[in-house]
Amino acid sequence: NKVGKADKAPGLPKSLVNSVFSHFAKTTVSRDTYPILQQCMDKYFDRLSDDLEAYASHAKRKTIELADVELLLKRQGFVSDKMPLKVLIERHLPMEYRKLLIPVATSGNRVIPKM
Amino acid sequence: MADTEEQRNFTQTQRLKAAVHYTTGLFCQEVAEHKEVEFSKQTIAAIAETTFRQCEIFARDLEAFARHAKRTTVNAEDVKLTARRSNALFSFITQRSEELVSNNQEQKEKRKKAGGKAKKKSDAPLQSGMDEDEDSNMA
Repeated sequence: NKVGKADKAPGLPKSLVNSVFSHFAKTTVSRDTYPILQQCMDKYFDRLSDDLEAYASHAKRKTIELADVELLLKRQGFVSDKMPLKVLIERHLPMEYRKLLIPVATSGNRVIPKM
Repeated sequence: MADTEEQRNFTQTQRLKAAVHYTTGLFCQEVAEHKEVEFSKQTIAAIAETTFRQCEIFARDLEAFARHAKRTTVNAEDVKLTARRSNALFSFITQRSEELVSNNQEQKEKRKKAGGKAKKKSDAPLQSGMDEDEDSNMA
């Protein structure tokens, strides 16, 4: 925990974190929760990267792949037999990301409008 | 038909739970003598139930880890990965697995001395055994 690490360390922008948090929170969120949120996010990303690294090396790879992320989500309980990864993607990600993650063959299709 | 299947499954579960409960009781007895405390019956039952459910979680994780490494056999590496969260537990399990590997090696050497045509039988799955044997040879 170095001083001056905070302004150099990569992280999500404050406004984004606050808006996402207040979107999911059922009540109004006061502004002074942000430092704690930031700490939580830091810890979360630390652990996430640790886990992903371990999973990739477990499969004897040096590159983190989709399978590693899926395994992580499985272990965190987000992905299960009843809740496949694709459903989560459909539910929580905007259209352009969904298109990237769940490619659909649209060749010669005239029904799908051009975005 | 399905009903009898369910019945059988239930009895099997009950048997397993009883076995876990019994062993938990033994462990608790040991601790009770060692630390001079008493365990109520409900406590032992609660520990047994917790253990049983934890086994379910472990089994799922181990399966997922083995599949992730494109294996169908769970080996020591998967077990280490499940214990990665806690440093003390991880080091303990690593130590124990090394002990097991060295024991296996000793047994193999004994068998070789006794006669090369002894049946091959190893407790550890072949792949991991082979890899770790090579490692310990290097060391």
